[in-house]
Amino acid sequence: MTTATETAEPPVPGRKMLSRTARERRSGLTLSLPAIVILLVFFIVPLYFVVRFSLGIDRFARTEAAAELTGELASFSLELWRDFLGHGVELEILGMATIGLPLAAVGVAAVALVLGAVGGGRLGRHGGFVSMGCFALLLAPFFTIPWGNHLLRVAQLSSEGDFLRLFFKSVTMATTSSVLAVAIAFPIAYTLAYGVRGSKYTWLLIVIAPFLTSYLLRIFAWKVILGDQGVVNTALFGIGLRDPEHPLSFLIYSQFTVILVLLYAWVPFIVLPMFIALQAIDRKLLEAATDLGASRLQGLRKVTLPLAAPGIVAAFLFVFIPSIGEYITPSLVGGTQGYMFGQAIAQQFVGGTLNWQTGSVLSIFLLAVVLFLTLATSKFLRQGGGTVA
Amino acid sequence: MSDVFLSRSGRRALLGFFGAFLIFLYAPTLVLVMFSLNDSAVAGFPFVGATLRWYSAAVHEPEVRKALLASIEVGLATAFLATGVALGVSYALARRRFPGRSVVSALALLPLVVPTVVMGVSLLVLFRPNGPVIPIPLSLWAVLIGHVVVALPFCILILMPRIASIDRRLEEAAEDLGASWWQTFRLVVLPLIGPAVVSSLLVGFVTSVDEVVIASFLVGDQVTLPVYLYSGLRFAERTMMLVPVASVMIVASFVLVVAADLVRRAGDRRLGAA
Repeated sequence: MTTATETAEPPVPGRKMLSRTARERRSGLTLSLPAIVILLVFFIVPLYFVVRFSLGIDRFARTEAAAELTGELASFSLELWRDFLGHGVELEILGMATIGLPLAAVGVAAVALVLGAVGGGRLGRHGGFVSMGCFALLLAPFFTIPWGNHLLRVAQLSSEGDFLRLFFKSVTMATTSSVLAVAIAFPIAYTLAYGVRGSKYTWLLIVIAPFLTSYLLRIFAWKVILGDQGVVNTALFGIGLRDPEHPLSFLIYSQFTVILVLLYAWVPFIVLPMFIALQAIDRKLLEAATDLGASRLQGLRKVTLPLAAPGIVAAFLFVFIPSIGEYITPSLVGGTQGYMFGQAIAQQFVGGTLNWQTGSVLSIFLLAVVLFLTLATSKFLRQGGGTVA
Repeated sequence: MSDVFLSRSGRRALLGFFGAFLIFLYAPTLVLVMFSLNDSAVAGFPFVGATLRWYSAAVHEPEVRKALLASIEVGLATAFLATGVALGVSYALARRRFPGRSVVSALALLPLVVPTVVMGVSLLVLFRPNGPVIPIPLSLWAVLIGHVVVALPFCILILMPRIASIDRRLEEAAEDLGASWWQTFRLVVLPLIGPAVVSSLLVGFVTSVDEVVIASFLVGDQVTLPVYLYSGLRFAERTMMLVPVASVMIVASFVLVVAADLVRRAGDRRLGAA
């Protein structure tokens, strides 16, 4: 580098400082250059071309005749975006009333609710309620309780558009498994922080280690266990509870299984941000609450939970964001019932229904949703994100 | 002494839940390993008897060997490339003020949130055989590029905080004594972050060896091990051959994870002493 000449320079304070800043700038950029080049060429540029595909500027077919065959757009057009997003949405509440809504209204409402949930806390005394209310309204149409072959739900979004409906379904599955994952991980984090004896960090490693082992193989294990000829079913045959001709088929290839396996895959990971949030709580606050006559339950509700809330939200997002675009889990254990949006994208590029332009529209939409969520919630993600490394 | 966080019975209930959770967490893997030893054509009951025949079948399957070799090659290359690139940018982000610093840091972490399916198809668009933007054939090279992009943020997240936590005065002392930037980096910084570099290499390797989505879009004729496992699952008659491979990989990655953590703790101690 150029540093040898710099150090040989006479020690005039002002000049040295100036040259030092200039040198810093230059070497900062030089050192970052390989990363910048790799990320631009192999990360940003490819996404740019996906955008071009989604707008019909580029296409898979090389000739007009081939394009006719693949049914691709030949020039710039928003047609595919209209095909995807130009549908009404039906909101069904408690399985009774159905309200038809334009998609734009649903989108605006979703964005407003996300921003409300994130920023509501700043609205003074009742900010916490605004925030929680927005969060609850966001979850309501998507949270379901898996019940065998069925899903119990408060409200449901549906649409005439196939891909849009699939997107709602994927969000539903991701939401459900995220909520359940948080519900399981919180007591685990609580136990790690306050319940276990001995080295907390060794226990933490025991909980997290599975997450760091192969994701594919842990799902593979579930497929072996839940399959029609799998461990659970053959055990049931063995003790005569089930006839080999009629295995419990909902064990695999259902939404239930996808939700279960996603939950299984992510729970160990999200214990971490919640554990850290709980660890950071000052014991004296709880002692003060107890001294003032609060029961442990009140202490949990009024002190611990509010203080741990950012960690809990971060945990939810850590499961939710990767789950919406999930591909491996539904492909292995989802079957047709558990089919998800990420699979639809792959299918357009390499599967039976080859249409790169439609696939690009779906990809960019998914990317936009994920980026919006990440940016809107970045304060939570950063709080929990320090834990990722 | 009463505890403000937990009553005695509450603690007992939570520990019970914790125990059940650990079983839920580890049972699938243990079951997989157990049935990889079952002398039966399906991975299920009844447990006929222990055998290593599926292991020997897997070892003697040339496809498995080739896929394993391909994965190790791509994994090693990913580990070194991603760690090398990450070292540069991590040092710059931790120690230098330069224009566009925040943009670089955002860009470097962005691949963390982009769904892998989207990343896979976007690289497929870039390398597409009919009219590629960049003429790299769909092959292990293409997979390597995808994996470097995916592994990069993880390596940076490991290396950057380590570099930032080094006492700046050590570097300044070296520079005042006439060391060039490279000498300072090699003789002062690198030894101090050595354990972090090792964990970055490990994470890069593991990320690549485990990655299946991007790889499945970009592999040519030679598949990687995860892609082999993933595509093999569609054929029931091949499943039993995959189970031992999967078992070995899970156990091996578990050992790697624990080793990486031990190395990291050693690194914490070293930095604490520095």
